[in-house]
Amino acid sequence: MFPFIYEFHWTPVHVVFLGIFFSVVLVILSTVSIALLRAYKAFRKHEHEAIQWEAEFEDLPAAARVCRHQITGEILQRTCNHDFDCRSCVVHPTFLVRRAPVLAPAGKEDSVFGFTMPLDRYYHRGHTWVKYEGEGVYAIGLDDFGQRMIGTPDAVELPAVGTTLRANGTGWTLKKERATLRILSPMDGVVVQTGTAQNGWFLKVRGGEPNVETRHLLRGEEIKPWIMRELERLQVAVSPEGVGVSLADGGELVQDMWKQAPQVDWDGVWGEMFLQA
Amino acid sequence: MDRQFIPRGLQRSSFTRFVAWVFPWILLLGLGLYAMYLCLAEGLHHTNMDNRFAFGLWIYLDLTVIALGAGAFFTGFLLYILRREELKAVINSAVVLGFICYSGAVAVLMVDVGQPLRAWFTFWHPNTHSMLAEVTFCLTCYLTVLAIEYVPVVLKNRRFRQIPRFLVFEFELHKVMPVFAGVGTFLSFFHQGSLGGLYGVLVGRPFAFREVLGIWPSTFYLFVLSAAAVGPSFVLLTTWLVQKLSRKQLVKPEVLRFLGKVSGSMLIVYVLLKAVDTLYWINTTAPAEGAPAYTFYTSQGFGTWILFAEIILLGLLPAILLLIRRLRERPGVLVGAAFLACCGIVMNRFVMTIQTLALPTLPFDLLMSYVPSWQEVATFLAIVAYGVLLYSLSFRYMTLFPQERDIRQ
Repeated sequence: MFPFIYEFHWTPVHVVFLGIFFSVVLVILSTVSIALLRAYKAFRKHEHEAIQWEAEFEDLPAAARVCRHQITGEILQRTCNHDFDCRSCVVHPTFLVRRAPVLAPAGKEDSVFGFTMPLDRYYHRGHTWVKYEGEGVYAIGLDDFGQRMIGTPDAVELPAVGTTLRANGTGWTLKKERATLRILSPMDGVVVQTGTAQNGWFLKVRGGEPNVETRHLLRGEEIKPWIMRELERLQVAVSPEGVGVSLADGGELVQDMWKQAPQVDWDGVWGEMFLQA
Repeated sequence: MDRQFIPRGLQRSSFTRFVAWVFPWILLLGLGLYAMYLCLAEGLHHTNMDNRFAFGLWIYLDLTVIALGAGAFFTGFLLYILRREELKAVINSAVVLGFICYSGAVAVLMVDVGQPLRAWFTFWHPNTHSMLAEVTFCLTCYLTVLAIEYVPVVLKNRRFRQIPRFLVFEFELHKVMPVFAGVGTFLSFFHQGSLGGLYGVLVGRPFAFREVLGIWPSTFYLFVLSAAAVGPSFVLLTTWLVQKLSRKQLVKPEVLRFLGKVSGSMLIVYVLLKAVDTLYWINTTAPAEGAPAYTFYTSQGFGTWILFAEIILLGLLPAILLLIRRLRERPGVLVGAAFLACCGIVMNRFVMTIQTLALPTLPFDLLMSYVPSWQEVATFLAIVAYGVLLYSLSFRYMTLFPQERDIRQ
């Protein structure tokens, strides 16, 4: 195998055969080393939150990844390829320009299919909301749809004051039954205060300009079609496999809905609805 | 009990039912491990092989599973190099199947060759003039590549994903997969080929001997081509089988149809070349060796039906069934053709090992018979059990079919 080992000869067969073998081994080792090095660097730079979202987004079912402009009917079919971060999407602004004649006015009501969804705030696809409170501070909470799905959590783990949050990274963690759920942060910012469900919000964060920081979040006239779609996704998620979707009769989603159907795999349903693979 | 390890949104059987499923396979694995111990500790007299019948059940199994395991490299090649994105739906399953096939083959080789503690000799003092040195090097390297490709599949498990270091490593490893797909294709080309290349030196066995075409014997190319042709069929067949056993649709029908189309396209080329090679052997190679080809088909049990079955029934027929779109779109025909194609390679490797050694080569020779001992059969079954167990665990706790969640929607 090596020149210093007996039976090695400087013949073309030895040199070519072993040369190819060592090249292959070198490629394998160097590729694994590169992957390890990159992983180490990413970990040191605390990029694992962004990586987790990127990886989980790719694993989400196609139905969960549809573009917000498909939900509103502005386009027939489009799958998001920006991990729900419209700030980096070049197509999103073109839809905003065309939006006015397509969508009906937002209106004043804040009840959407029985859910309380105030229109004075912005909504994240992972069922959190953001409300600008002035002076660069935003309140963040769980929307009514999310609250009714999960009910009262067994435990809530909030980030410490001073923690930097990234949009689509972990906002806070909920524990319910045996499931642990990451609630996705709807925006970038630094935590300045923590609250409880009783406060109506969970976090207050300091972020940048509202027009910039919330551009990727749903608002106004987008809420109704989005909630309608979420109801459809929820129906599919709770339907037994092989049975298919049974259409609802128009009733409202009850509080603590998991209690009404203990046979359902709620861990899977919550994961589905809170955008976790 | 194990719910926390099962991927979110996927339905799997109860833990009790799963244990009931794996228990018989564990017993079979245990029996096989005992047989392996007997062979390693006491010697190969526990087998029915001897100095003349040195290619037994194990080498036959090796050649067959390595050919079927080609589905891993060929699916990876199509996905990562030729960018056929639809194969994302089966790539994880193909990798697991490839890993099972190759690790199983290496385990059996370890028992067959014996003295596993001296396995490093083959690397330290390689006989570079032997095709088997190349096979050993390529097999080892490719098994390493398959193990590396298996790592992201394991690290994607939801519990491992909660560990940031694993998550980041899996993500970065996934990015370099095209490199491993390329290396895997390169290695597979050579070791599949070298297994076939062996017949270029079997001058004393005119039934299997093939002349050199370029720098390798014709069987070199035929082995590569047949493995690449049948690999996708094996992935198709196993996916269908898992769908039936789990009673779930795991991939969209068009994915299976695409695998069938690829397999059919490769298979028709293989069958044509195999036919040309056979005709050349009948008319030139065998007579030149002093043994007219018909003499090989006069022994009891080994008539010309084998030739017909291998090339026409299990080669040309499935190739045509897979190539004609109207037929391919019928699930029964698609799966049936894939099954026939897999049987074709099983038969080809049987012919190239067992039949090759059984046929008389000298005028005073008789047809040799060989029946594997229970230790050989138990070792063979242990590899099957190992495969079923590893695949069952992977299917339960990992996302082998990413479309499964999508289809539910």
